[in-house]
Amino acid sequence: MSDAAVFDVNPAASVASESPLAACRPRVATLANAEGAGVVVRERAFLGHLILRGNAADEAFVAGVEQALGLPLPTKACGLSLAAEGTSSIQWLSPDEWLIIVPGGAEFATELRLRECLGGHFAVVNVSGGQTVLELSGTGVREVLMKSTPYDVHPASFPVGRGVGTVFAKSAALVRRVGEERWELVIRRSFADYLYRWLLDAAEEFGVHIAD
Amino acid sequence: MQHYSGFGLLKHGLSYHENWQRAWRNPEPKARYDIVIVGGGGHGLATAYYLAKVHGITNVAVVEKGWLGGGNTARNTTIVRSNYLWDEAAWLYEHAMKLWEGLSQDLNYNVMFSQRGVMNLGHTLQDMRDIQRRVNANRLNGVDGEVLDVRRIQEIVPLMDCSRNTRYPVLGASWQPRGGVARHDAVAWGYARGADAHGVDLLQQTEVTGIRVSGGRVQGVETTRGFIAADSVGVVAAGNSSVIAKMAGLRLPLESHPLQALVSEPMKPVLDTVVMSNHVHGYISQSDKGDLVIGAGIDGYNGYGQRGSYTTIEHTLQAIVELFPSFSRVRMNRQWGGIVDTCPDACPIISATSVGGLFFNCGWGTGGFKATPGSGHVFAATLAAGKAHLLAAPFSIDRFISGKLIDEHGAAGVAH
Amino acid sequence: MLLIYCPYCEEYREEEEFRPKGEAHIARPQNPEETPDEVWGDYLFFRKNPRGVHHEQWLHAAGCRKYFNVTRHTVSYEILETYKAGQHPASDRAPGVGTGGAK
Ligand SMILES: Cc1cc2nc3c(=O)[nH]c(=O)nc-3n(C[C@H](O)[C@H](O)[C@H](O)COP(=O)(O)OP(=O)(O)OC[C@H]3O[C@@H](n4cnc5c(N)ncnc54)[C@H](O)[C@@H]3O)c2cc1C
Ligand SMILES: [Zn+2]
Repeated sequence: MSDAAVFDVNPAASVASESPLAACRPRVATLANAEGAGVVVRERAFLGHLILRGNAADEAFVAGVEQALGLPLPTKACGLSLAAEGTSSIQWLSPDEWLIIVPGGAEFATELRLRECLGGHFAVVNVSGGQTVLELSGTGVREVLMKSTPYDVHPASFPVGRGVGTVFAKSAALVRRVGEERWELVIRRSFADYLYRWLLDAAEEFGVHIAD
Repeated sequence: MQHYSGFGLLKHGLSYHENWQRAWRNPEPKARYDIVIVGGGGHGLATAYYLAKVHGITNVAVVEKGWLGGGNTARNTTIVRSNYLWDEAAWLYEHAMKLWEGLSQDLNYNVMFSQRGVMNLGHTLQDMRDIQRRVNANRLNGVDGEVLDVRRIQEIVPLMDCSRNTRYPVLGASWQPRGGVARHDAVAWGYARGADAHGVDLLQQTEVTGIRVSGGRVQGVETTRGFIAADSVGVVAAGNSSVIAKMAGLRLPLESHPLQALVSEPMKPVLDTVVMSNHVHGYISQSDKGDLVIGAGIDGYNGYGQRGSYTTIEHTLQAIVELFPSFSRVRMNRQWGGIVDTCPDACPIISATSVGGLFFNCGWGTGGFKATPGSGHVFAATLAAGKAHLLAAPFSIDRFISGKLIDEHGAAGVAH
Repeated sequence: MLLIYCPYCEEYREEEEFRPKGEAHIARPQNPEETPDEVWGDYLFFRKNPRGVHHEQWLHAAGCRKYFNVTRHTVSYEILETYKAGQHPASDRAPGVGTGGAK
């Protein structure tokens, strides 16, 4: 257990949380339900986001993360470990950096678990308030992604269980393929409004539905 | 030199324009010159012209590896202005501006200098503070300038989207009415013709391949047409300056980058001034021929390829369409790149070196066209006297050792 | 458009994801206080800026956000190799030596 000072930054019910998209008024024509929509966009707001840093070559570190999270630490570039129920994930960001996403409210407990299971030189930082997740599903999603990012999203180069950091609509995003026709974008709070509106605009031609 | 005039045009019309004298000779290199200028761009040719005209030094050669004005001079977007922030830079560029204002008459060659005004947009409060500061500084230096509000901007450029709906709304602008554009080729040709008339040898297709130095003094230049001896050598080679410096065993604080520009198909007149935006990163004017002339920033990597990356062009056009949504349907005709010699403080180097008799005039980077007459004028004086002209002195290479930089990134920016 | 192999992401990525960061392998003088101005100025500002093979730093800005090195020809723009920060170039290979799957 590390002796770093830790505290829970989640205000829970004491302060009303606002998604970065709260003030966004999209101006595209959306479909009322998912049926017939080529693209379904759903914000997965208020999840717990943690940045983990550590040495992937250190077996104890790798084992400790797995012990804490019950998920293997992806040590290969662009790896993404997904829990079967889809509730949590670990994404490789760089050789010594990962993004852990857990259900909202679970981030503090996750951080404590990690600190318990890890020793030596590592870092865990709660970045939950700084970013949000957009889930995209439907048959038109790949087309929308192709309009938005120079990264090759063809299934041959982008299998399920892969996540990359790349350019997205001149901004940046983490693009993750979490299912055959299900993708996630992890976007920064300050770009969220712009990227959300970009996405809806790009998706409009395929019929877009905004799910709760 | 044959004098150009309206009457001459009429007279030559009678002989079907078949008897025009060549604008300049194509001489064989002499074995020795008082001064050799390396680089036949606008700056090199202007230097030679003023050496002959102002200082009476006519035993001069301009050595150019390609054709006259074929470097950045022929590739730039021709924006001319003098509203730089710091005194030293404002004085230098304003010196050039004053020469521009009489240049066509002086050269008896129409350089099509058109003072249609240059507008630098502000999109953030900080932009506006910088604009206020710069305009105030300019006025103290006798450089014209105004701060425009959105209403005035919209009057001058009705086509621009000045609404609040854009991602980066236009909040205001600085405006230099005396700024404008000129015809780049004509500038090179006018100086070439003037220099040639004074006896300067313009040696095209002659590449400098070495600098001969002996006893700490320059002896002359090795070229693809043999050795040419010279008492002094002035290097004005823009993006290739580092290469030539290396021939003399010198290092420069320069990096050569691709800088691109593009022009559209010609259209009816829609834009009669120059609009630039550091913030969305692009600038635009319309040439007398009707094409939109568009440019922006450098490609970030070092490059001598005279071509840049698609992403840079794409970014530039996105900025232009952000400002002028109606241009989104205009087709682009041509795109090209030059090699610009960027300097750490976005100011030029006009300087002697540790090699006696060897001088450099470089580092103009993305914005030296506007300085062409002034640069040539002060560099000629520097070469003639063997020591820096008053306006050139602050631009000595020593500033990168003393730390006395003249940081013009704010005024240079995307702004050329 | 350059395709650049990121030695950390272990694949080719579009140039747009990267930021060029200038000449590589510039050593910072050991004792700044005792370094003569000429040497310090040279360290800060003076560059090789070669017309030819250039060792340079790039940042994978939109990807792994790591700095790494690229050996690239500044006229043809051909990338001869990329290698991690702290490593040395395999060679000063001449341009046009066709490295095939050069990374
Ligand atoms: C796309 C673009 C847009 C620009 N827009 C603007 C603008 O709007 N406003 C502005 O003020 N400035 C602008 N600039 C910058 C401007 O073009 C330059 O600063 C200026 O033209 C430099 O003039 P020069 O005579 O020094 O260089 P150049 O015209 O490049 O002349 C240098 C000459 O040296 C020659 N040379 C090189 N090596 C050798 C050798 N070994 N032997 C013999 N000759 C050699 C070259 O062939 C070349 O002709 C722009 C530049 C570019 C590329
Ligand atoms: Zn990478």
